[in-house]
Amino acid sequence: MIKISQFFQSIQNFLKPKIPRFLALILSTLAILHFIILPAFTQQPVTVRVLMQALEANQWQPLEEKFEEENPDINLEIIEGPNDTNLVEDLYTSAFLLGDSPYDLVYMDIVWVPKFAAAGWLEDLSDRVSPAELDKFLEGDVNGSMYEGGLYRMPFRSDGGMLYYRTDLLEAGGYDPPETFSELMQISQELKEQDIADWGYVWQGKQYEGLAAMFVEILKGHGAFWVNPDTLEVGLDSPEAIDAVKFLKSTINEGISPPGVTTYAEEETRRIFQNDDVVFLRNWPYVFALAQESEISGQFAIKPMVHEPGEPSGACQGGWGLGISKSSQHPDEAWRVAKFISSRETQKQYILKTGYVPSRKSLFNDPEVVEKYSHYPQLLEVVENAALRPPIAQYAQASDILQRYLSAALTGTMTPEEAMNTAAQETRNLFAS
Amino acid sequence: MEDGGDGEDGGEQTTTNKQQPANKNQQPTNQQPKMQKDAIRQREQRTGWILITPALLVLALVFAYPIVRAFVLSLFTQNLGTELEPVFSGFTNYVRLFGDGRFWQTFGQTAIFTISSILLELVIGMVFALVLNETFRGRGLARTASLIPWALPTAVMGLAWAWIFNDQYGVVNDLLSRVGFIEDPITWLGDPVRAMIALIFADVWKTTPFIAILLLAGLQSIPQDLYEAHKIDGANPVQSFWSITLPLLTPQMLIALLFRFAQAFGIFDLIQVMTGGGPAGRTEMISNYIYATVRRYLDFGYGAALVVVTFLILIAAVAITAFLLSKTRINVTGER
Repeated sequence: MIKISQFFQSIQNFLKPKIPRFLALILSTLAILHFIILPAFTQQPVTVRVLMQALEANQWQPLEEKFEEENPDINLEIIEGPNDTNLVEDLYTSAFLLGDSPYDLVYMDIVWVPKFAAAGWLEDLSDRVSPAELDKFLEGDVNGSMYEGGLYRMPFRSDGGMLYYRTDLLEAGGYDPPETFSELMQISQELKEQDIADWGYVWQGKQYEGLAAMFVEILKGHGAFWVNPDTLEVGLDSPEAIDAVKFLKSTINEGISPPGVTTYAEEETRRIFQNDDVVFLRNWPYVFALAQESEISGQFAIKPMVHEPGEPSGACQGGWGLGISKSSQHPDEAWRVAKFISSRETQKQYILKTGYVPSRKSLFNDPEVVEKYSHYPQLLEVVENAALRPPIAQYAQASDILQRYLSAALTGTMTPEEAMNTAAQETRNLFAS
Repeated sequence: MEDGGDGEDGGEQTTTNKQQPANKNQQPTNQQPKMQKDAIRQREQRTGWILITPALLVLALVFAYPIVRAFVLSLFTQNLGTELEPVFSGFTNYVRLFGDGRFWQTFGQTAIFTISSILLELVIGMVFALVLNETFRGRGLARTASLIPWALPTAVMGLAWAWIFNDQYGVVNDLLSRVGFIEDPITWLGDPVRAMIALIFADVWKTTPFIAILLLAGLQSIPQDLYEAHKIDGANPVQSFWSITLPLLTPQMLIALLFRFAQAFGIFDLIQVMTGGGPAGRTEMISNYIYATVRRYLDFGYGAALVVVTFLILIAAVAITAFLLSKTRINVTGER
């Protein structure tokens, strides 16, 4: 008897997993019939392609599904690229150079816009959007999407540099958050002397794009400018710009910043901020969520960058958005995607899920958003002080010139005056050639 | 009637009758088998040409075409200023290149990097090879382990090295301060000279195994009896090394050096990840500059000129070294 019951048991076990598998098979057949074969018979959906970093492509999955549900005649195809954004830029560049780009939409970082637009790869979107609609976006995001009067990108998510500070350390010393450069220096120095802090201020000083991004904020805070995009005037050798370099250099010389800041990118500075007792950090919004999970959780806050008395605060404008490729066969369908993606509802859904920064002003104070991210109203204050990296076609060259000479000044191979004079001269030569 | 093939044959055969080598129709009956042989040879040659044609085509497409194309492109101006349309501009790009400080600076830095790293690698690789050539317990394991750095992707290791040389958390500073060599942390990547040293160090770590393996293969082909005979003559191991190992290993050393020279001169990923060319552009290498010019500045004409000039200088360097080395080798063999 036991043997027989065992036998039945084993038969049952054998059948058990089969039933759900069978069901799944039926369901998937039905799904294929419904979603692929039937639509194929009734109408051919138009395929719109876009390339982006694999990481973000995954986060776009729900948006893609929702869009296709609402627009059955368009098949939005998101192609996963490398996670390094430089490589994505390379892939787009190659696709455009070879002509007949396979991508209808271009998911663009703000600094690519002038170059891609100058190369004639992008469609002008000015006629498709009303000025009233554009007003709802952050000013920096819109300005960064323009090139010579045309609009080449619909802003999707924004980004901006800001000052993080440790609330517990400031309280321990009895200080308010600083407003000016000299206050920042003073607080750092005194907290270091009292052994409350290991370091005063960490920032990105490595020779790379982040150095230029950090420096536009310091420039703006000193009332100086890099390049005027309209007149191509270069302001790097003005006394204010040289003061900006001297400020950065003094943070190292006076021991407020570790000497290694001249080799740090974002991640190195974030780790030091999280692991040591560092009073101030200049970084992007992504740090907030990560620091919240670290040891300093709940002991830090953000504010707009410090500045000279009487000068505005600067937040280097970053951010991503969609442009339409000039070689696209379906510009109208692509526009529908861009419109859907930049819409308030889509942005809200995306931000609640990922924690990125929206490009629409009204979302920063949206009750649902604030409930999840209580610092967003403050973040709006930060990103409203947008400082643009000059939107000019030769931005990459100009940025490299600045990076080389600024790095030379910070590491002491040149004096600030020498470095900025040479950088200004080389930038002027670049525009003259 | 007279064709070259027969004349050759006559010349080979008639060593005594050099004055009239090409008089081949003198003895037609005798020449018959030779003519046949000749025809066969011709046919074989033809087959040979047919067989190597695909390889030649591939070579032409892969090597000759890009070089010729780069040269043609370097005579044009094609950048954002011309809306990416090629406009003929003669040698303007070359004139600009000779006045381009950044080019010569990166070129010099590349030369320093290449020469120091391959010389260090040769010496250390030789030590490795000699050790791995001895019999000892766990030799197989040691041989495999020594290859690991070579097998790891450079970009990943570049990131790791950037952390190793980090001033606050880096292993290097930690070790140095524990031993007591330093008190304050050193910012390795924040100073031009130290950053270059760090890069060379990382490159030597990564590619020494490659040279070691090449030299090891060479060592194993040297017959043992040479050493025994030398020993009987009263030579010590050091003398054997200088008079047997080194001369017989010269071909392998040359191959290893050539490979590494070409590779190190084109170094890109390690620099891109570890220093980004900084500080102050003082660790930027020629490939990083060319990459920036073409891919980021979209300045194709000038980028092509950079490629052509670098290519020519490299070829010249290799040719000169090969020539000098071949001369010294002749001297070495000639003396013996």
